[in-house]
Amino acid sequence: MAILSVEHSDQLFWLGRYSERVYTTIRIFSKRFDSMIDLKPEEYEEYCRQQDIPNIYTSRDDFSNRYCFDENDPNSIYSNLMRAYDNAIVLREEIGSETLAYIQLAVYAMNKAAVSDAPLIQLQRVMDNIVAFWGIVDDSIDDEKVRSIIKFGKRVERIDIYARIQMDTAEIEREMRRLNLRIPRTGLCYDKVKLAHLNYLAQVSPLDYKTIVKEIEGLLLQDALPMASGM
Amino acid sequence: METGELYRYSDMVNELLARYGVKFGIYKNNTFKEQLFPFDMIPRVIGKEEFAYLERGLKQRVAALNEFIKDIYSEKKIIRDGVVPEEFVYAGSGYLAQCEGVLPPKGVYSHISGIDLVQGKDGTWYILEDNLRIPSGASYPMIARDLCRKSSPATFEKNHIEDNRNYAQLLRQTFDYVNTGGHTVILTPGRYNAAYFEHSYLAEQTGAHLATGSELIVEDEHLYFIDYSGKKEKVGAVYRRISDEYLDPMNFRPESVIGIPHIYDIYRKGNVALLNAPGNGVADDKGIYYFVPKMIKYYLGEDAILNNAPTYLPYYEEDMNYVLEHFDTLVLKDVAEAGGYGVVFGSKMTKEEKEKFLALLKAEPRRFIAQEVIDFLDIDIYESEQRVPRKADLRAFVLMADEPVVWKSGLTRFSRNPDSFIVNSSQGGGFKDTWVLSE
Repeated sequence: MAILSVEHSDQLFWLGRYSERVYTTIRIFSKRFDSMIDLKPEEYEEYCRQQDIPNIYTSRDDFSNRYCFDENDPNSIYSNLMRAYDNAIVLREEIGSETLAYIQLAVYAMNKAAVSDAPLIQLQRVMDNIVAFWGIVDDSIDDEKVRSIIKFGKRVERIDIYARIQMDTAEIEREMRRLNLRIPRTGLCYDKVKLAHLNYLAQVSPLDYKTIVKEIEGLLLQDALPMASGM
Repeated sequence: METGELYRYSDMVNELLARYGVKFGIYKNNTFKEQLFPFDMIPRVIGKEEFAYLERGLKQRVAALNEFIKDIYSEKKIIRDGVVPEEFVYAGSGYLAQCEGVLPPKGVYSHISGIDLVQGKDGTWYILEDNLRIPSGASYPMIARDLCRKSSPATFEKNHIEDNRNYAQLLRQTFDYVNTGGHTVILTPGRYNAAYFEHSYLAEQTGAHLATGSELIVEDEHLYFIDYSGKKEKVGAVYRRISDEYLDPMNFRPESVIGIPHIYDIYRKGNVALLNAPGNGVADDKGIYYFVPKMIKYYLGEDAILNNAPTYLPYYEEDMNYVLEHFDTLVLKDVAEAGGYGVVFGSKMTKEEKEKFLALLKAEPRRFIAQEVIDFLDIDIYESEQRVPRKADLRAFVLMADEPVVWKSGLTRFSRNPDSFIVNSSQGGGFKDTWVLSE
């Protein structure tokens, strides 16, 4: 079994978070953008508010272009993918070249989409590579800790995003169940009180989304993971 | 040799190399960029007998260089006997006073040696440069071979080619031979290093742990890797891919933030192996290169099997006169530079450049060597679906465990510019696989 440093466990966690952020963001963006096409062009303003990102965009088209592909926009899908890549590239030894390749392919697909005549539909290829990445994580990484930390990051990110966009109770409950199963397998230090609180919050109607976001962000104890690679 | 089918899948192989992140990093205008390392499918082919000759010469050379390093940091017989002038030893940046009297585990200094050679048009091989600090490049032909075998199995079925994918195994044996007890780590400066792909790929392939300085700590006279639960794992060997001066801020450059405080102290006590040993730069300086055939004679009592490129040291009056008389036919190299930098061709200088350079040469003769320009044998590459000749060198790797082993392959680098002799990846060069025939 590999020995895993604090730095690499941190990078595994953020690899899980950023890969999930890219995947779920593309999914949600695609759905919301559909209604921006001909029903409600200004809906991107509400989207920014929900995602807690500054609305620096001047129009729907500016939003769709910069939010997806602008490397200088720290909230863009592109920037988040590059953060996933930055974490993955230092983990070749833990995750293996075959697994790392799917993040690399997602980056190539993103670059290709950015210069395409139909950039939004091309984002599907980015999603496909992220899904393949998760698949090969399961298939080729022997070390359960390594797999579990990536998946733990993924769950944390998904609950965070779902709570921000106020997804319904069933979805949040489902993700909480998966988080509960995963977290003991990581070997990481987490706040058990916060986890219990989250489990409670996921069952209370109506959901207190703001508190869920706050609690999920604080779930991992700071001493367990220095936050050098995340944001 | 039947290789026709191999070239059909060149694009696919390069696509797969990109998929696996086979890149090198480069700084341009203070910005870090990752670039793909272009791979050309036409291999350099070395026959069995020819390689056996190279193998003998390389083993001999590396054995003498090891003896030289050992001697310089201990008895200094070669200086006392007047074979190598002391100015060339102590004035070079590679000499480290901190290494005086330090004997590395098992007495091995250069565990991984990268020796650069070129082949002249008459077939003669010449040594261009010895790299005994942190030579890189073995990972590229290793991964390329794997993909080429997949793209054209028939080529490898029909031709008898030594399998070069054992490099990781040879490297592991080298690690294990000197390991003082514990894990082996590959110490990297981090992902913004030019050779980061290689660091991470070799860690994956050898099963060593890739680590940065911040993940390792010296405690109770030993080196430990601290895992994420706080448990300390003892480390017995460090394949360090950071240069001597940044290795330990307590013993070398104090401003280093990528090194490990006190690692050199415990190395000195024999509690950890460092591959390659600090201080090796004393033997691969371009000025010292001139003396390697003399070293071989001095330490081994043999004539050098492999030739140096004809080299002149302007430090000696006779050589200075030769350089001044034949300036336009020579290539001049600044001994402090590497990576293809500091190399100038007399024939390509303007009158003003030449005057300026000659003034510098006369003022600092120790700083330069001059060499005859060897007309390398061209090797074809594919460019725009045509075969075109380009200059290429060969980096051969010699690994030292209980006995030296020459890896039956090597990194062939080529210039993409038809008028250039500079093959370095940092200057736009590409690479080829090197086939050593087994029959």
